[in-house]
Amino acid sequence: MLHKPFILRQLTRSRKQATVFVLCVVLSIVTLIALNGFSMSVHDSLLKDARTLHGGDIIIRSHSPLSKPLKDAVASLAKRGLVESARYYELFSVVRTAGDASSLLAILKIVEKPYPFYGNLQLQSGRAFHEVLTRGSVIVEQGLLDRLHVRVGDSLGIGSAALTIRDVVEAEPDRPVNFFSLGPRVFISTEDLEGLDLVKAGSRIEFVDLLKVHDPKKLDRITGELKAVAEKAAQERVDTFMTESSGVKKFMDNFLFFLSLIGIFTLLLAGFGIQSALAAFLKEKEKTIAIMKTVGATSRFIMAQFVAVLCVLGLMGTIAGLGLGFLLQHFLPALFKELLPQNVHLIVSWRAVLQGLLLGVFVVALFAFLPVYRLRDLKPGAIFRKEDPRIERSLPYLLTISTILLFFIGMVLWQLQDLKVGLWFVAAVAGLIAAVAVITQLVLFFLVKSRVKALAMRQALKGLFRPRNATRAIIITLTASLSVIFSITLIEGNLDAAFVSSYPPEAPNVFFIDIQPGQLEDFSRALGIKTRYHPIVRGRVTSINDEPVDPDKEREKRGDNLSREFNLTYREELLEDETIIEGKSLFRNDWHEPQVSVMDTVVKMKPLRVGDRIVFKIQGIPLYARVSSIRSRTGEHIQPFFYFVFQTEILKDAPQAVFTAVRMDKEAISPLQNRIASRFPNVSIVDVTQTIAVFSKVMHKLSRITRFFTSFSIIAGILILVSSIFATRFARVQEAVYFKILGARRVFVLKVFTLENTLLGLISAVLALLVAQTGSWIVCARVLDVPYRPFIGTSSLMVAATLLLVILAGLLSSRSILNRKPAAFLREQTEE
Amino acid sequence: MKIVEALEVTKTYTLGERRIRVLDEVSLSVADGEFVVVQGSSGSGKSTLLSLLSGLDKPSSGRVLLGERDITDLSEDELAPLRNEAIGFVFQSFHLVPSLTAIENIMFPAELRQDRDAQARAEGLLGRVGLRDRSENFPHQLSGGEKQRVAICRALINNPKIIFADEPTGNLDSLNGKAILDLLFDLRKEGRSTLVLVTHSLDIARAADRVVLLRDGKIEDEKPDAS
Repeated sequence: MLHKPFILRQLTRSRKQATVFVLCVVLSIVTLIALNGFSMSVHDSLLKDARTLHGGDIIIRSHSPLSKPLKDAVASLAKRGLVESARYYELFSVVRTAGDASSLLAILKIVEKPYPFYGNLQLQSGRAFHEVLTRGSVIVEQGLLDRLHVRVGDSLGIGSAALTIRDVVEAEPDRPVNFFSLGPRVFISTEDLEGLDLVKAGSRIEFVDLLKVHDPKKLDRITGELKAVAEKAAQERVDTFMTESSGVKKFMDNFLFFLSLIGIFTLLLAGFGIQSALAAFLKEKEKTIAIMKTVGATSRFIMAQFVAVLCVLGLMGTIAGLGLGFLLQHFLPALFKELLPQNVHLIVSWRAVLQGLLLGVFVVALFAFLPVYRLRDLKPGAIFRKEDPRIERSLPYLLTISTILLFFIGMVLWQLQDLKVGLWFVAAVAGLIAAVAVITQLVLFFLVKSRVKALAMRQALKGLFRPRNATRAIIITLTASLSVIFSITLIEGNLDAAFVSSYPPEAPNVFFIDIQPGQLEDFSRALGIKTRYHPIVRGRVTSINDEPVDPDKEREKRGDNLSREFNLTYREELLEDETIIEGKSLFRNDWHEPQVSVMDTVVKMKPLRVGDRIVFKIQGIPLYARVSSIRSRTGEHIQPFFYFVFQTEILKDAPQAVFTAVRMDKEAISPLQNRIASRFPNVSIVDVTQTIAVFSKVMHKLSRITRFFTSFSIIAGILILVSSIFATRFARVQEAVYFKILGARRVFVLKVFTLENTLLGLISAVLALLVAQTGSWIVCARVLDVPYRPFIGTSSLMVAATLLLVILAGLLSSRSILNRKPAAFLREQTEE
Repeated sequence: MKIVEALEVTKTYTLGERRIRVLDEVSLSVADGEFVVVQGSSGSGKSTLLSLLSGLDKPSSGRVLLGERDITDLSEDELAPLRNEAIGFVFQSFHLVPSLTAIENIMFPAELRQDRDAQARAEGLLGRVGLRDRSENFPHQLSGGEKQRVAICRALINNPKIIFADEPTGNLDSLNGKAILDLLFDLRKEGRSTLVLVTHSLDIARAADRVVLLRDGKIEDEKPDAS
């Protein structure tokens, strides 16, 4: 059935179209292969190093001192020789130089021997950690020395104590990435804990107990025991080194999740490229197919030959895609530098290889089906007569489109493992492509009707509508991919302008955290700024309407969820920028039970209505409250807000700290920080503008990475452009030859082709900018609530870069056409 | 016995936005073994008539019968065996498969029938037309005359009952053209095939059993009279 010489020669004769087809297959899978493989490598590394990453086998975390039952359970295990335990405390605090000349927000880690159980803390001196960290000593990060201009041996004021810097930490195994930290690390021994006087009721401290399990086989049993005890108190979380999700892992999960969306978007556009390149490839073969049918070949026979050709090309593309995907994977650690631990080992995951192979085969089969199926309907007579065969939107066509859509949805859901987000994403992409398609059709409609006087431009315009020119497909693909890149750039620029370059003038820029209630009066005097003080009580939601909240299930959700601790507060009135959207007032006078007003953000985590019952746990003590109202923020003012607001009488006696946020001149922040830190050492002071600078750095890095991956989708558009030029090669050569015969110079022909590509690039870039400006405005103005700037300069640069890319790609592909001699071409036509 | 018959066939084409009626209720029958020439000026519908008679195209109305069989509404796949075994086609522009060598082009129809002697028969035919030493050349490596000889071999390899030739010498010089026609006539006689040939040449027409003259899509004259 297979005609081997014919198949082989199809592969070698149409090298250009075959190459474009193979490149499209490569493109469709390379980003997903790279990302999936990289993701597996990261997970594998983090899992392998999980013990080191967490410092122990079992990790018990709490925002308040461990409950007695859990303390007793741990003590009992230790007594039985099953575990060894080490405690540490982690908190923010302002550290001061001698004489309070300068101060800095730092992250304190107050540790007891033998922390950590796994991994080594490397010190600049090369000495052992616990040899250096004795009572009265601190070990700090180099960053602290640089920012406070101090040295080893100098004294630091921390809380109520003065401690001496003894060494510098160079590597901290359970803090592999410090990209996101708000301050440098300071290690202190638990022997100084009391002297610091920082552990107060309501303070924001993380209490961590690390356990080393002597018999690894008993790990799960011991963890289960401790979990059962912790569940009753509902204030501690017990995890093993395998189940504990580190900040790094959570961040990478979410970011790689987002990038995989880009990978799927690229796959879809590359799929269009596959279809377009294949259609062009088969169009070149129409005459051959007609001849074969003339001598009696059946459609089945013909399709079998071309399916064989496709299998070879598809396999080449899939293997190349796999190879390039693995290569790209090696480049990713450099791209993700500072976001990942240094010791991420890249692995060759056979699962990823198999997934890649299956994906490549499926993508080719899906997008190649229609062009191959249409071979059935090719009639020899029509081809020899050069009639353009009518493409009927028959059942196979509709079935193929439906299958492509279902495949796309399936891919999204498989990658994302989240139905809601997946469907939103599919709807967004479908909406984007549909909108772009409609606008493109309108633009082309007006273009075809336009009357242009200049000859070269007129010919260029006609060229856009040349038969078999994939003008529409090129514009749609380029516009869709460019609009994503343009949008990322515009949104990043606007966030930068709104928060980094010019922080909103009315927004508070200094936060004061962990003010003790007893300090309030003195603090207020020392601050000297009229401000609102918010009491904060830490608590968790344990059940809603008698349905317990499952923290593990909640943690699986993307975005905010009910598994975490919340900052509860109390007051009797609404804030200036709050409004009640359900209920009559903040609290009801006709109810005689504890009430809580809930922010609409909570309702998004779990449906709630006025009258519903919530049970909170505050330091192990349950608190029942009834939902009295649901609030929303108007966004008129930028100020702190709280998800749960109670009546004063309910929480006023609970362990609490106080928080406030003020707006100050930048120059006044540092002197105030020094003054407050020396008088109230337990108060943490956060300079928000500095914090935002840290996040801005993160944002820029993430945007760069996202743009890198999105640029692959632009390649899909360029490949369709190149394929289209190859497909219309004969017509272009004919035009060029006729122009020359009629007296035009080579430069005229070059001008016409350049103008044609300029039009393509300009239409794509301008449409993309239009879509991007609209989308970015919606995101900035409606979602992020920041003023919008169109960034004309940057927009113009993006359009110019696109134009250059399209013109270059178009001209490079048309080189040989320009050099064709008229006589040779005409001779060939006569002979045929 | 009639080997092919067109009954009041009409053919209308759509070219861009225009509809063009090329044939207008034409009826024609060809007897087994007959040599019929179809003549007419450019645009008279000669090639179209040939396409319809050979099943390469479908009439807009009317019927086409091949032997006793009505082929008008047959699908492409139903027509395939007829094209392979019963019909041989020789085009003005040769229409050889560019990616197959001369011998492969000739063997192709026989290979479709899974004829084990395809190669031997193709070699025989190539020798018969004097192109044995060109068997491994591709079409672009052959002259016009050589290409047409290969095309004739291809048309004849399955011993078709009827050969349709659409201006087979149209792209050749007079010397080559005569040689091709002599070859076609000889091979046709050897195979006892019916021949329907479109040509402008009066000399060729004189050799035919019957000449059909087309004008503006209708049969203007037939010599001698078909009846």
